Amino acid sequence: MRPILLIFASICLFSCKKEVNLNLDDAGPHIVIQGEITDAAGPYSVKINQSVSFNSENSFPAVSGASIKISDNEGHTDSLTETSPGVYSTQLLQGKPGNTYTMTVKALDSLYTAVSTMPFPVNFDSITFRQNSPFGNDRITAVPNFQDPAGVKNFYLFNEYLNGLMVTKDIFVFDDRLSDGKYITRGLRNSDETLHESDSLEIQMYCIDEPIFNYFNQLDESGGRGGAFNAAASPANPVSNISSGALGYFSAHTVRSRKTKVHIE
Amino acid sequence: MLLTPVFVYLVPDNFFLTVALTILVPPNKITLSMQPNRLIFYLCIWLLPAMASAQARHVVSGTIRDKQSGETLIGASVMLIEVPYAAVVSNSYGFYSLSAVPGRYTLVVSFSGYASDSIAVDLSKDTSISITLDAGGRQLQEAVVTAGKNNNVTKPLMGVQKLSISEIKDLPVLFGEKDILKTLQLLPGVQSAGDGNSGFFVRGGNTDQNLILLDEATVYNPSHLLGFFSTFNSDAIKDVTLYKGATPAEYGGRLSSVLDVKMNDGNNKEFHASGGIGLISSRLNIEGPIEKDKSSFIVSARRTYADVFLKLSKDSSTNQNSLYFYDINAKANIRVGAKDHIYFSGYFGKDNLGFGNTFGIDYGNVTGTLRWNHIFNSRLFSNTSLIYSKYNYNIRINSGNNNIGIASYIKDLHFKEDMQYYANANNKMNFGIDVINHITSPGVISASETSSFNPLTLQDKHALESSAYFSHDLSVSGRLSINYGLRATTFTIMGPGSFYTYDKDGNAVDTVTYAGGKVVKNYFNLEPRFSTSYKLTGRSSIKLAYTRTTQNLHLLSNSTSANPTDVWIPSSNNVKPELADQVSAGYYRNFHDNQYEFSSEFYYRDLKNQIDYKNGAQLIANENVESQVVFGKGRAYGWELFIKKKYGKFNGWVSYTLSRTERQFSEINNGSYFPANQDRTHNLSIVGIYKAGKKWTLSADFTYYSGNAVTWPSGKYEVNGQIAFLYSQRNTHRMPAYHRLDVGATLQGKKTKKFDSNWNFSIYNLYGRENPYSITFEQDPDNPSRTRALQYALFRWVPSVTYNFKF
Repeated sequence: MRPILLIFASICLFSCKKEVNLNLDDAGPHIVIQGEITDAAGPYSVKINQSVSFNSENSFPAVSGASIKISDNEGHTDSLTETSPGVYSTQLLQGKPGNTYTMTVKALDSLYTAVSTMPFPVNFDSITFRQNSPFGNDRITAVPNFQDPAGVKNFYLFNEYLNGLMVTKDIFVFDDRLSDGKYITRGLRNSDETLHESDSLEIQMYCIDEPIFNYFNQLDESGGRGGAFNAAASPANPVSNISSGALGYFSAHTVRSRKTKVHIE
Repeated sequence: MLLTPVFVYLVPDNFFLTVALTILVPPNKITLSMQPNRLIFYLCIWLLPAMASAQARHVVSGTIRDKQSGETLIGASVMLIEVPYAAVVSNSYGFYSLSAVPGRYTLVVSFSGYASDSIAVDLSKDTSISITLDAGGRQLQEAVVTAGKNNNVTKPLMGVQKLSISEIKDLPVLFGEKDILKTLQLLPGVQSAGDGNSGFFVRGGNTDQNLILLDEATVYNPSHLLGFFSTFNSDAIKDVTLYKGATPAEYGGRLSSVLDVKMNDGNNKEFHASGGIGLISSRLNIEGPIEKDKSSFIVSARRTYADVFLKLSKDSSTNQNSLYFYDINAKANIRVGAKDHIYFSGYFGKDNLGFGNTFGIDYGNVTGTLRWNHIFNSRLFSNTSLIYSKYNYNIRINSGNNNIGIASYIKDLHFKEDMQYYANANNKMNFGIDVINHITSPGVISASETSSFNPLTLQDKHALESSAYFSHDLSVSGRLSINYGLRATTFTIMGPGSFYTYDKDGNAVDTVTYAGGKVVKNYFNLEPRFSTSYKLTGRSSIKLAYTRTTQNLHLLSNSTSANPTDVWIPSSNNVKPELADQVSAGYYRNFHDNQYEFSSEFYYRDLKNQIDYKNGAQLIANENVESQVVFGKGRAYGWELFIKKKYGKFNGWVSYTLSRTERQFSEINNGSYFPANQDRTHNLSIVGIYKAGKKWTLSADFTYYSGNAVTWPSGKYEVNGQIAFLYSQRNTHRMPAYHRLDVGATLQGKKTKKFDSNWNFSIYNLYGRENPYSITFEQDPDNPSRTRALQYALFRWVPSVTYNFKF
């Protein structure tokens, strides 16, 4: 419903926005684990750090000295080594679509486990562009083009890298609940003017499993992005697939990538 | 026995009760194991005292109307001076009936804003007297008997707020658009859903727990433009009554309140046109007789024209955007003989928002009501209604190859039979049946072959909501009055359709398919209603009330603002009816010849089967939407204070509410009670209107309320390169308090017999406070190493001017 809200927001001639200082609670440090296995060549990494209070700088203390194992359903197990503070890498494991991966993490005197199944990949044909003009602001939207396989549930996550830097403002997740078997040309609509002509744009398309889709979908909803009218009534933490109350996720997914210059046909 | 003929007369062949009982008591669920005849017998026993004392009395009855326009007057007081406590209030169609032993009496009729009238009556037989009151004679009004003006003290009804259009016409308003829903928010126990918003919460209820009726038809979405305007064009409205929980038995279907809005009937004496021209909208109203004194019509229309300004833009992408709403109210009525009256009323409203041709949404309500009033005899008044109501939305998206439409509606066909029996001056009975056929179409997606989406039609949902009710208004003595009643409701979920059972993760584990017309499930509920008042002195009283209400249609909404695409879902095998029990107690006192009215009410409300949705719930076009909701309970309690100066050069009111509203869900905050979003501790409104001479009327209102309960981050972390916020408990933070002062002035133009006009000026939020509409959190785009909180405020110093005319 964002377009409607946007229309209204634009005509509120009297509206104003300002930064405010709020007296927010500090829940204290919480462990955040992010682990990924993909179908690209390894090594794969798991990052562990901690949350900070809202008013702190955006630098998140690394959690070192964890012991991490990832195993698959074919009997392979890999022990990860810490390559830099809080970043742990696999040594031998090779991700394979259809396999189920189990991660166990021992850190800060607790044990965390997570399971994820790598879906089969979907071809990523191309990137096209579309121009929208909400109230005079020409806005360019990138459109990934791909064929959704019929008869199976598919879940997608897209990352944009603009001139080599990841676009971190927006989360793009998509499921085929209403699109099974269709040729998909759904735009990745940025929340503000992000793309400009002749920028270099890379899009990574992940095929993710359902819990990871739910995780990012909930994360998107609770993020409070999108201005005055789009705040979720009651935001909450997304449900993680990692046990014992850890924040973050463990995802086994496929990656397909396309790169192009931003252009209007 | 002597009762039987009465009942045969009341209920020809026991038709209605038999019908009601058949509907109410499905064979597999006999909770009332009585035969219809036995039940009627018991009902008669209840009525016995009333009937016995009805002997050897004569009745005076009739209709009360405005002298100039012939409009019927709702809620006018009628009394016989010689018989203490013999007083009634005219009903929704202006009808009254009073009885007394034969003799000579003085009948006094009074109504707020009108000169009272008194008529000598020689009651030697049943007499019909229709009365017209003069709106012009204010001076008279204060001199004549003030009796009957203290109905707020003497009647057992509690938690009732009435508004007349004349009361709201001088108040300052946002964009100059008079709005009954926004004026209601200035009354105790009623809270605004947000700055400039017409949505409202009553005593801790959600916005969907208000039953909003326009000439008896349910209005499913009472707002335009995302809630900033209400669907009620004040030109078309005669009477507004809000029942805050202690609802009479004739109403049902929602938990927390009933807002009963009645449209004007139209002037049956002469033609008139009136209207207004404002900065963002204009209105036109035409009314007149079809046949003088017998029939009349009224048509009121308005349209906003914010989009006209968009069209003026040179920018082609801006001038293709659309943003407007319009609505039309129309009504006609005809008197057929002395005993029958037929009314037809309709409403049609539409909002249209669009971004060029890439995105558009239109939505609106349609209602139609056909009513037949029949006076069986001077004691028995009947109204039969056939009502249609529909709310729908259509979304169109055109983006690249994607041509998609999404449509949804909820539609009611409603039959209602209501009988009012005026046994005598101390006994009034009200009973009837109510049958609604609800059809909802949760979503139909149409998509072009090249689009990314598949066409999809979610199955329609069919339900039959059948109720029968009875209530009795009884004056036990001069001091004690009681109103008790019972409403029985069966909600029948019908096929065709597939009905799912879900496990705790929301996966469908079982599906049962029913054919059309097959009963899937019945929910039967009894709703007792009771209220009583005890007069301490002639001017003060205490009252007590208990009410149970149930609700079988539930609105799923997951945003902070009113959204046209919010989904109504009926009760089902997964969703149980919501239940509320409310007790309230109050003290009422009038001062200074009823010029001042004071009340203090306490309420406590217990809510069961309350609905919330899971985090990340997919509510649009989801066949399994019921798997996305969770169920819990709630409680709300509060203290309301209200003092009003009703007439004089200066009038107005002060309203204050101290309240708490909480919910409990096992999935949220570890199952403990938490404040609901709309929990606001303090609510204060002060309204003043001052008539400064013949030309000017000045007005002001001040509003203060504590901030809503909200959930703010209590930390942050990084996920996939992005900043995410850490939440701990729901609704433990508070928005800043809200306050605002509005001022207005009305300049009356030269008034002649032929033409009347005025200018209305107002400034909304005079001192320009930035009241936060919402607060959001984000990574600072200018300094990515930090995060910030952003506050959005909407309306500051909004001036408006409106020109109103009438000829």
